[in-house]
Amino acid sequence: MTAETIIQSLASGLLMGLLYGLIAVGLALIFGLMDVVNFAHGEFLMIAMYATFFLFAFFAIDPLLAAPLVAAALFVFGAVVYLLIVRFAVRAKANAGMVQIFSTFGLAIVMRGLAQFFFTPDYRSVTHSWLGGKTISIAGIFLPVPQLVGALVSIAAFAALYFFINRTDFGRALEATREDAGAVALVGIDKNKVFALGWGLGAALVGLAGAIMAVFFYIYPDVGASFALIAYVTVALGGFGSVFGAFAGGIVVGLVEASTALILPPSLKSVGIYAVYLLVVFIRPRGLFGSI
Amino acid sequence: MDMPFATRRRRDLIVAACLAVIAALVPLFVKDVYVQNIMVLTLMYAALSQSWNILSGYCGQISLGHALYFGLGAYTTAILFTKFGVLPWFGMLGGGLISAVIAMALGYPCFRLRGHYFVIATIVIAEIALLLFQNWNWAGAALGIDIPVRHDSWLNFQFTRSKLPYFYFALALACVAWLVTWWLEDSKWGYWWRAVKDNPDAAESLGVVVFNSKMGAAAVSAFLTAVGGSFYAQFVSYIDPESVMGFQFSLLMALPAVLGGIGTLWGPVLGAVILIPLTELTRSFIGGSGRGVDLIVYGTLIVLISLARPEGLVGLFSRRRKAMVR
Amino acid sequence: MTVTRRNVLLGATATAALLPIAARAQTAEVVIGIIYPFSGASAQQGVDAQKAYEIAAEIINNKYDFDLPLAKDAGLAGLGGAKIRLVFADHQADPQKGRAETERLITQEKVCAVIGTYQSAVAVTVSQICERYSIPFISADNSSPSLHRRGLKFYFRAAPHDEMYSAAMFDFFDAMKKKGTRIETLSLFHEDTIFGTDSGNAQLKLAGDRGYKVLADIKYRSNSPSLSAEVQQLKAANADVLMPSSYTTDGILLVKTMAELGYKPNAIVAQDAGFSEKALYDAVGDKLEGVISRGTFSLDLATKRPMVGKINAMFKEKSGKDFNDLTSRQFMGLIVMADAINRAKSTDGDKIREALVATDIPGEQTIMPWKRIKFDEMGQNNDADPVLLQYVGGKFVTIAPPQAAVAEAVWPMK
Repeated sequence: MTAETIIQSLASGLLMGLLYGLIAVGLALIFGLMDVVNFAHGEFLMIAMYATFFLFAFFAIDPLLAAPLVAAALFVFGAVVYLLIVRFAVRAKANAGMVQIFSTFGLAIVMRGLAQFFFTPDYRSVTHSWLGGKTISIAGIFLPVPQLVGALVSIAAFAALYFFINRTDFGRALEATREDAGAVALVGIDKNKVFALGWGLGAALVGLAGAIMAVFFYIYPDVGASFALIAYVTVALGGFGSVFGAFAGGIVVGLVEASTALILPPSLKSVGIYAVYLLVVFIRPRGLFGSI
Repeated sequence: MDMPFATRRRRDLIVAACLAVIAALVPLFVKDVYVQNIMVLTLMYAALSQSWNILSGYCGQISLGHALYFGLGAYTTAILFTKFGVLPWFGMLGGGLISAVIAMALGYPCFRLRGHYFVIATIVIAEIALLLFQNWNWAGAALGIDIPVRHDSWLNFQFTRSKLPYFYFALALACVAWLVTWWLEDSKWGYWWRAVKDNPDAAESLGVVVFNSKMGAAAVSAFLTAVGGSFYAQFVSYIDPESVMGFQFSLLMALPAVLGGIGTLWGPVLGAVILIPLTELTRSFIGGSGRGVDLIVYGTLIVLISLARPEGLVGLFSRRRKAMVR
Repeated sequence: MTVTRRNVLLGATATAALLPIAARAQTAEVVIGIIYPFSGASAQQGVDAQKAYEIAAEIINNKYDFDLPLAKDAGLAGLGGAKIRLVFADHQADPQKGRAETERLITQEKVCAVIGTYQSAVAVTVSQICERYSIPFISADNSSPSLHRRGLKFYFRAAPHDEMYSAAMFDFFDAMKKKGTRIETLSLFHEDTIFGTDSGNAQLKLAGDRGYKVLADIKYRSNSPSLSAEVQQLKAANADVLMPSSYTTDGILLVKTMAELGYKPNAIVAQDAGFSEKALYDAVGDKLEGVISRGTFSLDLATKRPMVGKINAMFKEKSGKDFNDLTSRQFMGLIVMADAINRAKSTDGDKIREALVATDIPGEQTIMPWKRIKFDEMGQNNDADPVLLQYVGGKFVTIAPPQAAVAEAVWPMK
């Protein structure tokens, strides 16, 4: 194994890790806001990728330009999902935890079925785009442009989110609603509105991730399944309730995955991720940066 | 108007006995193997979900990694039978014991985790096992294990065409799982778990004893699940890592209990009786279209039931029971 | 169970079959079960398969001027012109569901034969159930070599399995070496389900037997979110030939990742699967000029055997795709089964089995480049010669074996 192989693997791992972070941040945001784990998160990503694909296929819109449109569409979608489903799930008096898990899990199945119904199960790809297939080579280390842009978007999204939560009125309202939903009602903040916006925002972030993923990944109704578990582990590893944790968790997951593949047979590379998760929570039961 | 606890328990037992007898008579009238197959699966899922319910429902430790124990049961039986000629009955016992021990070994560090940290830990542990089996050449790796068909006998627990032996075994397993749950409800453990659920702080004062009871629940739950896995291996006579240890399977095991009523005596049975025939029939009669209609129907039902009846479908049957469900 | 008109009809035909005089009078239908994944990750394969089988049934049930068994008559002459009716079932890639659906097809739909299954793992349980009910099963498109070695009496496979395919690849390497091409080292890249594992094992063994050095033997998790670590290792090994065994999804990601990491192998010789799927070439065809894939079907045959082109055109009209390696095998699967039923003059499982054992269809009467279809004692057709196809200028040309080749291989690939 040469130094070049190791550096290349770690570089690829870091880029992928930042993307995992971007995929997971929506999940982390929603969880932090209202303790709900969205089991349809992978399907949100799938819908975002299809949206990007169709904008490309029918209107020849490049995924990079499509990204804001897809994010906006997913924002609406996320808010609607909250209002139609999750709102009732969190109201459940009995077994709130299981109701949330299984209502979003059921939603995931429906979304897959609908995707198969309307889009057929065929595999799609964005065949040419500004970023697709381009790659930068520095001293023998290759950095694919789509992943590089994805990593930058991820960093920017986290920075914006950090600013948004800590410096804006709405962010403070989100934070306050999270702390004590009952008290905010007294000061005239509509809890449902805040939660709906939170879901919209979380989904919009997945939308961004999906638009970028569409450049270099294949698209089909079950594509979300490949990413869902990694997204949950990323969030939990970083610590629930911490948006920054998802960022750090993503990087750790990416690097661990890449280095495991250097040591073990690549078919076992996820074992490294899972083992690190277990190790972290056995030592720190709240993940790396978790507050709850 | 609550019935006294003891009265309710006696009535539950009588109802269960009647249902078991009725169920045992059904195959005398239903000869169609396809329908019999659905009944076997329904009973198997009722048993699995009941076992899952002990740890996740009553004890409150939500596991989405029970496929691990199911798979261990299936693999132990299949490996012992194909490689060493050990009868499946011993494999079943062995698989159950191995699973119980592993469940306790995993429970020791995992029970310190709370909420979703625990749930995700159970998922990734099962995934690790899945990947290891997928790459374990001696155990067949991805090729799985094809259990050779011998002559029909209870000794080999193999029956070429008849579903009845499988049906009665699954029925017995479901009854055992139900009885264990019924017994636990009124045990010391059952009281502690209820106390902890009602008042998490009580957990602190009960400390060690509650921890030990959780280990016990994990062991019992894993043992029964593994027996279910052994049964599956004999019933299907082919296993591979993806079909016995996949994450989907962990969800499928939990689903009947969740929809029927988590942490209730009758929830898993009711959930399985409704859900499994529904899944099978939707796939058989609308799944051939290739358009995912079966998924749409199935998923929509899960969403609707879990939203409309968060306490589970058992709530529909008895108002009084609701008081017991917490 | 409700008694449908169909069941009554079937009961009637079953009774009729017992009466030799009545045999010619029946005009009922022959029901054949087709079991595929119609939902889940590989649903597209099921959808494509359905169209291939429907075309085969169309040709059997109507008069066509093709030199193919049963094409010239409408229906099965041996059963008084009875028509073939197909019943499709969804196994969702789950061996347990495959088992249950097969049992339903046999006991409820009263099928007299079963064809499937795409996933080899499901073929294991489907063939077991067929064995138990004495119903013949044709494994149309499963390539796992372990399948026919289980001592099943009702299992038949007209198409090659992975060891035959891999042997064809190594025959080709040997021939290329004789001509002076440098082929000494190989990289194997295979996924971790039954298909990739079997294929990887077969290739590893052949490489050892024939003196090729395997520099990297990479088994990866199917549907991984990223393949960069894997590709990095392939690149570091830099063998003379890269041999992937991947389904469509991983194939697309593999090719994209290779381009991104600047890995350009001298040659890619793929174990079919994803590398014969239109979706893969739609996605990354521009990066695959000169890729070689094994196969059993070649459209080049149309120049020698015009019916291949005509049947392909029928399929294309229905599905929007050319026949590929999978759909052509599925098509032949039904033809072979129907031919046996026709010769058996019965829908009885044992009789059909006897007819299948006696099958001897010359290669010219198929749409495949095979010598003939004749099953050995394990139900495997050893005369189904695989071909190697090279993707040149947006379509496949046959480059091996010599008797089927229409062009020389372009080596190294572009």
